[in-house]
Parts: sequence; structure tokens; C-alpha cells
Amino acid sequence: MSGHHISSAKFLWGVAIALFILTFITVAVTWIHIPSPWNVVVAIAIAVVKALIVSAFFMNLYWDSKFNVLLFVMSVAFFLLMIGITLLDTLYRTDPIPSF
Amino acid sequence: MSQTSSTEEKLDHLKHYFVDSDQQFEASKMGMWVFLVTEILFFGGLFVAYIVYRSWYPELYLLASEELDTFWGAVNTAVLIGSSLTVAMAIRSAQLNQIKGLIINLWITIGLACTFMVIKYFEYSEKFAKGILPGSAYSYDGVEHEKANIFFSIYYMMTGLHGIHVLIGIGLMIWLVFKAKKKVFHSGYYTPVEITGLYWHLVDVIWIFLFPLLYLID
Repeated sequence: MSGHHISSAKFLWGVAIALFILTFITVAVTWIHIPSPWNVVVAIAIAVVKALIVSAFFMNLYWDSKFNVLLFVMSVAFFLLMIGITLLDTLYRTDPIPSF
Repeated sequence: MSQTSSTEEKLDHLKHYFVDSDQQFEASKMGMWVFLVTEILFFGGLFVAYIVYRSWYPELYLLASEELDTFWGAVNTAVLIGSSLTVAMAIRSAQLNQIKGLIINLWITIGLACTFMVIKYFEYSEKFAKGILPGSAYSYDGVEHEKANIFFSIYYMMTGLHGIHVLIGIGLMIWLVFKAKKKVFHSGYYTPVEITGLYWHLVDVIWIFLFPLLYLID
């Protein structure tokens, strides 16, 4: 089975340092005021990279059974579906924005 | 584990309905991943609320997030990433039969988790003092937007639910420390450590998204 991958301490520190650097970058890019839609794109892109690093190397999905990877991927897919279908409603309402 | 120890292999943990330790470990881990799927969708609902309201009131998010202190948000991000590292180190210690290292790493993780909650407490109480409360209790007039309370309701729901998860994580890790002290864990059986680790990393991942979405809008 693939379930007992043992990462070296050096490797785990490397992963954490990569995450610290990405955290610094995501704060630093707000200092140079990227124009409107792109600042959100950059922030989300960095967060996605960080989440992938955590799930692959801290949560060991990189070495894990493909079924667990599939579970994770499907949860993200259904989350995106939830966003997509909700926005199809809320972005195209002819009524004004509700009071709440 | 494939390498059977020369002394007798400890199998107290093995339930009779599993073929071997590995099968039991894999089954537990898969069960945890199924739970994490429900967690992602649980928080997903709140992220959808965030996205819908941001699409309706983009200018509100820009104004209201000024009230959040980027510095402390960044510190908390670093604290959680550090705690993810120590949890990964705790799992590594358990895999290598270093029970002392496991306990030390768990304590550091608990300490970092408490640091996170203390910072969150100061952030919340500073806002409460100003009258920034969720929903209809909102009474702050520093944000010039009629829907200002909506941003902070979403903020409190997302960070509050995340904070509850941190508290549960602290509880789980204290439980792990007690189990480890009773010599329950060894390189052949550390499933609860592995599974709590997975949970803790997910809590970290959720904060990785909350931080830029709430604090870094300007």
C-alpha cells in the first residue's frame, strides 16, 4: 500500500518555507495595486497554489491512493458547480438586489 | 508496515474485521477524506455567500475590509502554516516510533493553535468595542455603505466557523497527547495522529483562502 510515506524533516521544512514565501508574496502584491479584476485573480491563484502544496505534500495526496485524490478533486468540482449554478441565478436577476 | 519488527508485532489496535493493519489504516484514512469532502462543501456554502454578495456589492467589500488588520491576518496565516508543519512533524515522529518527539510536536501545535485563537480574540473584541457585530446587532458608522453589516456578518460566519474548527482541533490534539503518553501509538499504529493531521491541514487550507478574500482587498 502507498499509505506510509515518511517525509524527511528537511522536506517538510522546505514545504513550510515555500508556504511562508507565498504568504509574503500574496501580501506584497497588494502594495503594487494591480488593477481591479487581476488583483483578485492573482490572490486566488496564489491561494490555490498554496492549497495544492498543502494537500499534495502535507496531506500526502502526492503519495496517496488515487481514490483519495479523486475524492478531493470531486469535492472541488462540486464546489465549483455550486458557485456556477448559484451565480447563474444571482448575476442574471431582472429584479433589483433583495433587501437582505 | 511492511518491515515486521524482530520483536513481537503490536496488534492491539487491529479490529478483527480488517485483514491487516494496512487495510485498517487505509480504510480510516479514506473515511477521513470523505469527511473532509463534506467539510469543503460545508465551508463552500459560505464561500458561495461571499461570492454572491461580492458580485452584488463590490464597493462594499473594498470599503469594509479596511477595518480588518492585514498585519494580524498575515501573522495568523504564518501561525497556521507553522502549526501545519509541526503536525506533519508529529506524524513523522510517530512513523519513526519517536513518541517523545510526537508529544513535543503536538504541544507546539496546540500552542500555535492557541496563539491563533488569542489573536482572533483581540481582533474580534476590537471590532465588538466599535459596534461591529454580526447581523442586526451592527451599530458602527465608520463604513459608508448601507449594507456594511452584510460584509461583517459574512466575516463573522466564515472566521467564526473556522475558529470553531481550530478549537475542535485543539481538543483533538490534547486527546492525542494523552493517548501518546499512554504509549498507544507506535510506528505500526498512529492512525488517529494521521487523521487529525489531515483535519488540521484542511483547517489551514481554508484559512489560506479566507486570508486574501477577507483581509487583502484594497
